[in-house]
Amino acid sequence: MSAVRTEEFMVNMGPHHPSTHGVCRLLLTMDGEKVIKIEPYIGYLHRSIEKICENRTYHQCIPILDRFEYVTAMSCNYVFSLAAEKLAQIEVPERAEYLRVIMLELNRIASHLIFFGTTAMDLGALTPFLYALREREYIMDLFEMTCGQRLTYNYIRIGGVSRDIPAEFVPKCREAIKIIDQKVDEYMALLNGNPIWQKRTIGVGYLSPELAVAYGVSGPILRASGVDFDIRRDDPYSIYDRFDFEIPVRPNGDVFDRYMLRLDEIKQSVRIISQALDGLPEGEIKAKVPLKFKPPAGEVYSRIENSRGEMGVYILSDGTEKPVRVKTRGGSYNHLQVLPEFATDILIADLVAIFASFDIIMPEVDR
Amino acid sequence: MTRDQLKDYIGSKYASLMTPLDTGRFDPMFEVKADRLFEVSRALRDDENLKLDFLCNMHATDTRENFEIVYSIASITTKLRLDFKIVMPYQNAEIDSVQEVWPAANWYEREMWELFGINVKNHGNLKRFLLPDDWNQGHPMRKDWDAPDFVRMPEIQ
Repeated sequence: MSAVRTEEFMVNMGPHHPSTHGVCRLLLTMDGEKVIKIEPYIGYLHRSIEKICENRTYHQCIPILDRFEYVTAMSCNYVFSLAAEKLAQIEVPERAEYLRVIMLELNRIASHLIFFGTTAMDLGALTPFLYALREREYIMDLFEMTCGQRLTYNYIRIGGVSRDIPAEFVPKCREAIKIIDQKVDEYMALLNGNPIWQKRTIGVGYLSPELAVAYGVSGPILRASGVDFDIRRDDPYSIYDRFDFEIPVRPNGDVFDRYMLRLDEIKQSVRIISQALDGLPEGEIKAKVPLKFKPPAGEVYSRIENSRGEMGVYILSDGTEKPVRVKTRGGSYNHLQVLPEFATDILIADLVAIFASFDIIMPEVDR
Repeated sequence: MTRDQLKDYIGSKYASLMTPLDTGRFDPMFEVKADRLFEVSRALRDDENLKLDFLCNMHATDTRENFEIVYSIASITTKLRLDFKIVMPYQNAEIDSVQEVWPAANWYEREMWELFGINVKNHGNLKRFLLPDDWNQGHPMRKDWDAPDFVRMPEIQ
């Protein structure tokens, strides 16, 4: 009997794969069960947001940028407004700053809840998804109460926010964060002791801090690799320097640490929100910004800490009412770039775990 | 190091390589000659006082007269941040790849090549990825790009 002939073969993962969360195609070169090469193919969701923005006024750019990263649309609104405010040197009223921080942190919690649910679902645990969406509903209700929208908010505008919160917002919000804070412990109890969950996550997909920094990996993934860096503290924007909160850092850089770090961050966001609700002042919610907003000629790059790492917007203005160039930077773009580095003898099932732990969202990559 | 100190530091140490641009109140901005790009990138990353090891963003702009390529870099350890740009003529635009310094530049350079038609030397993987594979309508992010179904927004009164 002749020896069994073996050869490498290619597998297409995606574009419509349940665990790629959007349309991302990974071309895998396999040696039996082992992945030896990963090549990401993107662009299925390319909507040319940057080109569209060049063709619109500054105010009209904000609703378009909602679609840039729709899971945390508040951050997209905010990072663009921040850049425009830096250009035109607009002073934002105190109350607006507080409202912005509350919305940004609520959105961070909502995004991390989605991560928690979908990651667990990708690894075969369906229950956490139902729990996570149940708690996310509280936040969606709060957003709906504030701006009438549940996904694309268009709430944070240049100079402030679009409208004030209703009277019942503050008590409802306190109640919601109290429930979420308790539920995070429940989530940990649900998964952390589970032997299947431990086998699938602990020690899987190690990302070294050197590689992470070289590839521009940011946010929770960077901090799960032991790098203590958070833009909220290290390049402060808005009024984050007034709040007392910790930056969770974990040393192991595996899937489990990336998952735990996000749950830790939910607890910290709850702390920030409750302090912001305590300190919420009365007053104006929007600075006077003309409808024909013409910032002076100049260029600025503004960056914020989003739930998926560094989110940035670069604006080049020539003094007219339309920007010459708007460049958006999302964390997932870099996170997908580092994925081929993992192709060292991993199983295809581990690739799903790694991909899920990166919390990549494709609209942010393709723009 | 504050922003002003950073400006002074670069002004004294890299005066021959980087020209400060006046952008007033924002992060420091410098201009770099295209043929010194690689040298500058490596110096900024390896400088013990700067350690600018994190490429935040990189993009090209079409100003209708020439291309401007902006590198936004930061440091994880020293928390500094600065931008530098390269201005180059429209014809035969070409830059060096900085992947060896910041591996993150790979996709940013690829995107620049695809959407602006700026050639990147020593890149190694210049393939289409945002546009369709059979795209043959030029470089859409250029200001003079036009297509039959491209509709401009009406002016606001």
